[in-house]
Amino acid sequence: MKNIGYLEEIILLLIMSMEGEAYGYSVSEAYKKYMGKSISISAVHTVMSRMEEKGLIKSSMGGATAERGGRRKRIFEATEQGITVISEIKSAREKLWDLIPDLR
Amino acid sequence: MKQTPPRWADQFLKWFCSEDLLEEIQGDLHEAHQARLVAEGKRKADRQFVADVFSFFQPYAFERYSKAKQFLPMFDNYFKITLRNILHRSRFTAINYIGLTVGVVAVLFIALYLKNEWTYDQHFPEEDRIFRLMNGYRDQTYTNMPFPDYFNSNVETQLLLTQKLERYEEVETACHFVPTQSDIMGGGQFFIELGPDRFVVENLLHTNTGKAFQAIFPQHFLMGTAENAFSDFGKIVLTEKVAERWFGKTWQQQELIGKTLVAQEENYELAGIIENVPNNTHFDFDLIVHQKSIPSWGAYTYLKLNGNAQIETLVEQLNAEVDQVYPGYWEDELSKGIEAITLTNIHFSEGNLYELKATANTTYLKTFAFIAVIILLIIWINYTNLSVAMYADRQKELGMRRVLGARAQDVSFQLLMEAVLLALICFPSCWILLRIFLPYFNELMQTAIPISTSWHWQTLLALFALLLLTGISSGLYPAIVYGKRSLLHLFKNKMNWTNSSRLFNFRNVLMTGQFVMLIALLSLTYFIYQQMNYVANKDLGFNKEGIIYFPVSGAEQFNKMKTQWLNIPEVEAVGANAIPGADMANQLTYKMAETDVVFSDGTLQYFDLGNVKTLGLACTACQQLEEGKERIFVINRTAAEKLAKAKNVEVEALIGETIVTEPEYQNEDQSFGFPYVIDGIIDDYNYHSLRIAAQPMLIEIHANIPWVYTALLKANTDNWSATIQEIKTIYASVEKDRPFDFIFLDEHLAKLYTTEQKMGMLLAILSLIALVLALMGLAGVVSYLAHSKQKEIGIRKVLGASVNNILMQFNKEFLLLLGCATLVSLPLAIYFAHQWLNSFAYRIQPQFWVVLLAAGFAACMVILLVSLQSKQAASRHPAEVLRAE
Repeated sequence: MKNIGYLEEIILLLIMSMEGEAYGYSVSEAYKKYMGKSISISAVHTVMSRMEEKGLIKSSMGGATAERGGRRKRIFEATEQGITVISEIKSAREKLWDLIPDLR
Repeated sequence: MKQTPPRWADQFLKWFCSEDLLEEIQGDLHEAHQARLVAEGKRKADRQFVADVFSFFQPYAFERYSKAKQFLPMFDNYFKITLRNILHRSRFTAINYIGLTVGVVAVLFIALYLKNEWTYDQHFPEEDRIFRLMNGYRDQTYTNMPFPDYFNSNVETQLLLTQKLERYEEVETACHFVPTQSDIMGGGQFFIELGPDRFVVENLLHTNTGKAFQAIFPQHFLMGTAENAFSDFGKIVLTEKVAERWFGKTWQQQELIGKTLVAQEENYELAGIIENVPNNTHFDFDLIVHQKSIPSWGAYTYLKLNGNAQIETLVEQLNAEVDQVYPGYWEDELSKGIEAITLTNIHFSEGNLYELKATANTTYLKTFAFIAVIILLIIWINYTNLSVAMYADRQKELGMRRVLGARAQDVSFQLLMEAVLLALICFPSCWILLRIFLPYFNELMQTAIPISTSWHWQTLLALFALLLLTGISSGLYPAIVYGKRSLLHLFKNKMNWTNSSRLFNFRNVLMTGQFVMLIALLSLTYFIYQQMNYVANKDLGFNKEGIIYFPVSGAEQFNKMKTQWLNIPEVEAVGANAIPGADMANQLTYKMAETDVVFSDGTLQYFDLGNVKTLGLACTACQQLEEGKERIFVINRTAAEKLAKAKNVEVEALIGETIVTEPEYQNEDQSFGFPYVIDGIIDDYNYHSLRIAAQPMLIEIHANIPWVYTALLKANTDNWSATIQEIKTIYASVEKDRPFDFIFLDEHLAKLYTTEQKMGMLLAILSLIALVLALMGLAGVVSYLAHSKQKEIGIRKVLGASVNNILMQFNKEFLLLLGCATLVSLPLAIYFAHQWLNSFAYRIQPQFWVVLLAAGFAACMVILLVSLQSKQAASRHPAEVLRAE
C-alpha cells in the first residue's frame, strides 16, 4: 500500500467527489466547506503535486474563465491506483471500527 | 468593473514562479481574489492575495522543472571556468589578490579600532545605569568631586557624599576612588615593600568604598575573594600584570594571600589578585589600595541607579540638597551645580577638567571611517577597471556561452560569481595578515586589542562580509555591462569603449576618482608632517633642551637637594613647580582694582627664580629678586593686553598698579578678593600645548618658594648618564620613600601631540597603501591596453612613429586624467587640511604647492609605470604584430 498522509487522504477524497471540477482553488474552497477549516491555495498545490508524483492522481489543463483572467485550470482526477489506495484505507478503517464493541 | 489584485505582488509571483506552474497558480489566485472581492471587499482580498503569493514563495513553485534542474551542473561549470581563469590570468589575479588583501586588511584594522573606541566601558554590567558625578565651578566642569573639607582627610567627611547618595531610593550604590596617575593626585612612582623586597608601582587606585566599587565595576578575582578584600580597610588587591612582575610567571602556584605589604609606612594585607583592567576602560590602575582615608582633596564619584530610576530627577534632588554635603555650596556664586554623565559617554566627552584618560577625538574617528570607505572605493575601482579591460579578451567565451543557450542573466551571474570567488579566496591571507600586524597596530595606536580577537566570530564574520561585499560590488559593473551586451557585439572583435578615444568614459572617470583620492591623501599626509615639524621646532618662549623634572615631597627636601645639586659642575640651574606642557587647569577670575571688567580665564602659577633660569624665560622684573626681594607678582603679555584694554591705558602703565584675583570672594574684613601689585610683565611663553592659544597668566615668583611639588633641573648634556646618576644619588639620600622617576621636558612636550602623531602615521601608512593599490590597478589596465592596441602600435610604427612617440601617446592619456584629478583634489585637500589645523592655535598655512608636489610625485610614478608596462608592446617589431592579418 502506498504511504499516504492525512491531508493527502482528505484532498484525494475531495478530488474524487468533485469529478472534473477539482483544481487548486476549488479544492481549497471545498476543504473549507466540508472540513470547517481554511487551507491556503499553496498548501493544496503542494499536496496535489506530491500526490501526482506518487501516481495517485493525474492532471490535465482545462477550461479558462474570465475570473481567472483567461488562464487555464489544471484539473485533477484520481488514477486507478489512487482509487485502490483510498478504498484500501476505507476497508482497513471499517475493519477497525467493527472491532470497537459499542460506542455507547 | 473588474478589479485586479495588487500589481507588484502579481509581478513578484511572475518573477519567482516557474513558467510551467505559473498559469494554474496565477489563475487560482486570481479566481480566489475575484471571489473574495465580492465576499469580503477589496482591502481584505488584496491582503489575502499578497499572503497567498508569499505562501507560494517556496521551493515547490520555483523553477523546478526548467532551470533548477540545470542549475547545479551549471554552477559546477562556472566554478571550473572561474578557477581556470584565475590560474590562467595570473597577473590579473595577483594584482587583484594583493590589492584586495591589503585593502581589506586595512579596512578591517580601522573597523577594529573604531569598535575598540565605541565599546569603551561597555563591558561593565548594566553600564547604562552607571553615572559619574561632575562638579560645575566657574566656567569649567570638574570630572571629580571635591571632599567637603579639603584639608581634613578624616574618613567621615570623605564619605559624606557617597552616603548621601545611597540614602536616595533611586540609587542602588555609590562609590568613589582616585588613581595616583590622575591630575588631582599628580602621578609619580611609589615604593611598596614586601619583606626585604622593594617594588616600584605607578598607579595606585585609592578607595574607601571597596564594596560599592566592586558592585559597580565588578573585578574578576583570580586569587582571593572580593568579600574578603573589601570587608575591611588596610587591604591591597593587585592586578595580574603586577603579580606577574613581582612574583614571576608562577604566581598562581604561590601562597600570596595574607602577605604583608608596606606602602608609605603603613601595613597592608595582600587580599587578592584580579584580572588586568581592559584597555577600553576610562580609568586604569596597577593595584587597589582599600584604606580608611583617601590621600587626596577629592575623588571620582560614581553611582548606580536602580532599575527604572531617572538620573535627571536624582540630579535635581541632589542639587537641591547639596548644602547638606557641602555647607554653603550655593552661597559660592561660582558653583554651577552638580551634573551626571553616563558611564559610556565619558570617553566621548570633551573639555572637562582632570579627565582620567584622554577622551576619543570624534573627528579622528570619523576620518578613519572615511578613509576606510576610500580604500574600499579604490579596491572597487581597481577590480572594475581591471575586469572590464580583461573581459575584452573574453568576449568570445561569453558569446559562445550565449550561442549555446545561456541567457543574459546567466552570463551576468557567472561574472558576478567570479568576482565573489576571487574576493573570497583572499580570506586566509587577510586573516593571517590580521594576526601578524595586530601587535604592531596595537603599538602604533596604543590600543590593547588581544590577538584572540582574530578568532572571534564577529571578526570572522566581518571579514567574510567585507570580502563578500567587495566581491559583489566590484563584480556588479562587468556583470551588468556584459550581460546587456548583444550577441553580435560580443563577437565583434573588440569592445568599442575599452579603446574608446572619448576621454570621459567610465574607466577614465573611475581612474580620475582614484587619482583625486590619492593626491588628496598624499597632500594631507604632508600637511600633517609639516604641522608636526612646526610644532617640534616652534620657539616656545622657553628653553626645553637638557631639562629633566621629577616629583619631590616638599620645600624642605627640595632646598636640601638644591644646594647639593648646584654643586655638581654640569648642573646649570634648579627650579621648582610649573612644568610647561600641562593641561588646562582650573582657571580663576581677576580684574584691575579700579575697573569693573572681570575676566575668568586666568591661570595662576607659583614658581621660583630657579624655574625662570632653568627655562630661560625673558623676565626683566626678576632682577628685583636677584636684588633681594623675596616675592614678585608678574603677569604675561596676553593678560597685560587684556587688562590694559579694559583700563584703557598702555601695557607698560600697568606696572605698579593693583590687580585683584577672585574678586567675588569676600574676606573676613568685608573686602573682596586678593590684591596684588604688578611688579612686571613677562613675555608670553607656551605653557600649554600649541593647540591652545596663549592664556592670560598671573605668576607669583619667589626667591625661595615655600611649596614645592616638582623640581626641574637643567644640566649640560655632554655627560648625561653620569650627571643623572649624581643627581639620583642626591635624590635617593633625601627622598627615601619615592623612586627617582624623572622625565625629559622635550619628550614630555613631544608627547602632547601623540594623537596627532598617531593620526599622521596612520594616514601615511594608509596613503602608501592607497598609492600601491592605485598603481597596481593602473599597471593592470595599461598592460591590457598595450596588449589590445598592438596592431595600432604596429601601424603607427610602420608609418614612422618611434618608440618614444608611442610611449608619449600612452602617457598622454593618463597624465591628462591626472591633471583633471589635481584640479579636483586641490580644493579638497586644502579644505580638509584647514579642518584639521583648526584644532591648533598655532599652525602652518596649508600651501597649494604641496598638492602640486603630490600630483607631481603621482605623475612621476604614473609615467614610470606606464612606460615600463607599454615598453614591450611599443618596441615589438611591427611585422610580428601585423603578420597575422
